[in-house]
Amino acid sequence: MIRSGLYIFLIGVFVMGSAGLIPPLISTANAITAEEMLADPLLENRARNLSQKLRCLVCQNQSIDDSDADLAKDLRREVRAQLVQGKTDEAILSDLRAKYGDFVLLAPPLAKNTMGLWLAPIGFLLLGIAITLGVRRRASATAPSPISQAERAQIEALKQQHKTARTCDQP
Amino acid sequence: MSRFRPTFFIPLIAFLGLVMIGGLALQGTLSGSRNPNQLPSVLIGKPAPDVPLPLLQNNQAELALDAYRGQPLLVNFFASWCAPCRAEAPALEHLSKQISIIGIAYKDRPQDTRKFLQQYGNPFVAIGRDDDGRAGMAWGVYGVPETYLIAPSGQIKWRHAGPLTRDVITTQLLAKLDEMQ
Repeated sequence: MIRSGLYIFLIGVFVMGSAGLIPPLISTANAITAEEMLADPLLENRARNLSQKLRCLVCQNQSIDDSDADLAKDLRREVRAQLVQGKTDEAILSDLRAKYGDFVLLAPPLAKNTMGLWLAPIGFLLLGIAITLGVRRRASATAPSPISQAERAQIEALKQQHKTARTCDQP
Repeated sequence: MSRFRPTFFIPLIAFLGLVMIGGLALQGTLSGSRNPNQLPSVLIGKPAPDVPLPLLQNNQAELALDAYRGQPLLVNFFASWCAPCRAEAPALEHLSKQISIIGIAYKDRPQDTRKFLQQYGNPFVAIGRDDDGRAGMAWGVYGVPETYLIAPSGQIKWRHAGPLTRDVITTQLLAKLDEMQ
């Protein structure tokens, strides 16, 4: 029972982990051009980091770091302009949120209206564990009990009877 | 084991629930009331952004939305390079008889904008130039055309992304306008 629970847990961890790990491995294309980049490598690094968190609102499933769309380019430029002004990462993200809404963030923020979204996977995992344990418990409860001594004797008697019947059949 | 078990129906009920959600979404998509590509504007109910823009007609002067306070106003982001903007030009022309419309030329060259207006008509009371798209960003524009309805108080009341069709004008825009008056 404990082992099967562990298996379920490990499978869940694997599925969730691969969902998070595989997309970054696949998307290697970058839309950024050399002239967009900032001279300061530290600021440029922050710009790239922010770009990967922001959604291109035209293509909607790409970050502005990946997208070649015009709006993505404008947003990359805006992010860099604000970085040069000395704004913090949080300030830049909240500025863009104020203009485009939460949708501009690729990862939805944990808020009252997104609670269901964040907690649903955990809920489904718990539900799955509960159902599996329930099914297993019921299966063990209805498993046939081992045969008793009296039943064994009865079987032997029947076997004996069968054997004699067969020998009588022979001519 | 022939005892009636109500738990047997739980997956069936859950499945029917999913079918119902999918059906409602499909019906909404087919009837046009639900468009997953339409992002809701977060600026609804907020004051219209005040980004100074040079006027198309006169480089030296700036477009001031404040000057139009006290009346409902439409703000239309358009560009000469945008095909749906051509499609909605007659609708804007028609609307300009009932409401003042401000045009904002989004990432366009002034000479192209002028040519576009000559060809498709000029329904605007004033036209601002948003050459680099920064004003568009402040308004949350993610594509042209986009149209905003501004209340006499200067608050954004409604936004539509995409061309203004007859259906959008009658069921949404004019309804909002009536509400306001």
